[in-house]
Amino acid sequence: MNADHSELTGVGADAASTPAVELRGVTKRFGAVTACDSVDLVLQRGKIHGILGENGAGKSTLMKILIGLVLPDEGSIHVDGQAHQIHDPLAASKLGIGMVHQHFSLVDALTVWENVALGEAGRLDPQAVQHRIGEIGEHYGLTIDPMARVGDLTAGLRQRVEIIKCLRRDPSIVIFDEPTSVLTPEESMTLFASFRDVVAAEGRAVVLVSHKLDEVIAATDEVTIMRQGKVVDEMITADADAPTLARAMVGRDVSLRGERAAFGLVNAAAADPADVGTSDDSTPGDPSSPAVLSIREASARSPQGITLLDGLSLDVHAGEILGIAGVEGNGQRPLGDLLSSLVTLSSGEVRVSGEIVSTKTPGAMASAGIGVIPEDRHDSGVVLDMTVAENLVLIDPARAANRGVLDRTRLVESAEQLIAEFDIQCAGPDAPMWSLSGGNQQRVVLARELSYEPKVLVGAQPTRGLDVGAIEYMTSRLRDAASDGVAVLLISSELEEVLDLADRVAVMFRGRIVGEMARDAVDVEQLSLLMGGAAV
Amino acid sequence: MDLVSGLFEAITASSTYVNAALFAGLLIFAASGEWIAERSGTINISVEAMLLAGAFTSAAGYTATDSFPVGIICGVLGGMVVAGVQAEMSHRLTADQFVVGLTLNILILGLAGFLARVVDLTTKTAPRWTIPGLSRIPLFGDALFGHPWPFFLLFLVVPLAWWLVFRTRWGLEVRASGEDPQAGDVSGIDVNKRRRQAIYFAGFTAGLGGAFLIFVQVGRFDEGVVSGRGFIAIAAVIFGGWTLRGTIAGCFVFALALALRLQLPNYYEGVPTELLQAFPFLVTIFGMALFAHRVRAPAALARPFVRGLK
Repeated sequence: MNADHSELTGVGADAASTPAVELRGVTKRFGAVTACDSVDLVLQRGKIHGILGENGAGKSTLMKILIGLVLPDEGSIHVDGQAHQIHDPLAASKLGIGMVHQHFSLVDALTVWENVALGEAGRLDPQAVQHRIGEIGEHYGLTIDPMARVGDLTAGLRQRVEIIKCLRRDPSIVIFDEPTSVLTPEESMTLFASFRDVVAAEGRAVVLVSHKLDEVIAATDEVTIMRQGKVVDEMITADADAPTLARAMVGRDVSLRGERAAFGLVNAAAADPADVGTSDDSTPGDPSSPAVLSIREASARSPQGITLLDGLSLDVHAGEILGIAGVEGNGQRPLGDLLSSLVTLSSGEVRVSGEIVSTKTPGAMASAGIGVIPEDRHDSGVVLDMTVAENLVLIDPARAANRGVLDRTRLVESAEQLIAEFDIQCAGPDAPMWSLSGGNQQRVVLARELSYEPKVLVGAQPTRGLDVGAIEYMTSRLRDAASDGVAVLLISSELEEVLDLADRVAVMFRGRIVGEMARDAVDVEQLSLLMGGAAV
Repeated sequence: MDLVSGLFEAITASSTYVNAALFAGLLIFAASGEWIAERSGTINISVEAMLLAGAFTSAAGYTATDSFPVGIICGVLGGMVVAGVQAEMSHRLTADQFVVGLTLNILILGLAGFLARVVDLTTKTAPRWTIPGLSRIPLFGDALFGHPWPFFLLFLVVPLAWWLVFRTRWGLEVRASGEDPQAGDVSGIDVNKRRRQAIYFAGFTAGLGGAFLIFVQVGRFDEGVVSGRGFIAIAAVIFGGWTLRGTIAGCFVFALALALRLQLPNYYEGVPTELLQAFPFLVTIFGMALFAHRVRAPAALARPFVRGLK
């Protein structure tokens, strides 16, 4: 297969001898943390090169160096054999390096063509840009309306705009940064299939940054594995298999189911019956019992009039985990916000143990017994400049106070207890929150929410940005909560995580639940169609 | 005279419209630049100081040379010096834009008041141009087409602002900076540079506005010559929902209120003047209350941008 590619490129032996990009000894430190530690990397024309690593392994810092968003402290970058300093994205684009970002390079309020033209030089010529978008769309099978407003597009179409924006500058080196987190499995397979052809035919060098093993195995020719800022291994993808790659990535054998789910390795069809057993050790909730959390026909709009939730209904029973699958941006965030009392419904209702909970009163959901591990812990989960102890009582400070005055002894005592119980690595109750690692900050959130003995626990993307160890801890805690009789709602855009944990899977599309199935009855193809909005 | 007929007289008097056009001219000069600054992500409250500085320097420029064009150029420079402080402090040194703006407003008020007492300023309004034919239109003719000549710079500034924002790459980058600076940065735009340039443009138009005060509307400088109209210009941008058309409409609504305040005492005796003075500001508050929640502000308005941070 690799041989086929180099023949088809027609660039020949030259390309093999002069790599498109060569990084030597690239090092970047952020304070005491070394994000990249003398990294060497060689990218060849006509090949798809995978960069595999856990969250925090230094993949994205390395790519930011390559496109000029971060300046390296040491090391050299050669493009086509010439040494270069890449100071900003414009310099990178002049060298032919383009990046397809996950979702943060598009401006919602602008149209497709305005976004594509953004960041270029020269006179603005709307007709030429619109024409070129049509050409690229035809050439790569990425058709799109250039006059559409980007904010109105689905995640898949936005990804299309990102790709067109990148290809429009005719880059010789294309970097894909974790492209599949916003795509359905179908969409990502199509995307990579078409990219193999493009790479082969046009002799571009492609980098695929990912933490998902199956994606890397399916789509790449070569793979570089990073761990803690260092390159630990390089191999030809055809010679590698999933266990080898996983071992190189984590530095030890990977056996735990949760870990494998984190790498996208849980075979969604659950072909291995032994695997299913692990999630069955908790008794799933009895569907005939009344639901603890019940949402009926919930609809909400943003102040700008955008539909957030559109007649969403779901039930979660005591002792079960309901997983919400779906492509990001289909209302998962508003659902989490609704259960954090951040969204007011225009119609519909939320009941906890049969009692209606007001969606207008701040804090009503927490008082009703709903604990939430929020999607973005920095945004709404913890206050970084406060101490661990203060963060632990943040929801209901009255617990550590006498008539409104904080009782320090009680505050510290309860904090110490939770720190021990949840094994939070920190200097003590008075340590500032920002001094904790991401995994430990998430443990603080988890400890706080569980210490209130909630009836309902909502995990909104609870493992995002955590490393494998922390993911494993979080998933086992969610399982424990369910087996203790808590109704658990897991909202995750990682399909593997949902399939690994949930007893029932519900699919969310455009603000509503479009399908639901028991874990044992999951058909991944059907699930994928539902996620893409097909009526099944 | 009863309430209704007094109001009717006031709104049918052509002098009301001449006054309204003069107030609107000032507001439009200030608001067209303010609009671009806000589209780039800055609530430029120092527009008040820019107007006052422009008024003072244009008066000083005319006093020194007896030339209206030189006076206008001096006014532009005065507005841009204030813009320079605002832009460099808030979008290079990352000082808070409101603190800088507030400080500038107080500082320039004091400075201009002091200098006006030290320097002997002699100014007058510029020669009046009337556009033949058009100025004969009943009710609005004089208001729109018969003024001291710097008034007609308006007919250049507004299309210029529109063209810059919607037809140039610079304008596209300014809009992106005000909506999503992170995305702009990733796309290769120097966000803070675009924001600084947008503030310089606001200084340019507010400087013209200051010169307009001296050479078209009032004829002479004193420290109270601006008296809050920069803030009304900011309100007009909000009232207009951050569109240029809406902003201009807002300027006319508020200008009409300012003009009626001058006219109404002729018809209502015994109404306290303080109440009438409050009238334009009441209109402003009602306008804001009616429209502020129906429109969408630039998403990153008033949010500073620091590279690399989320």
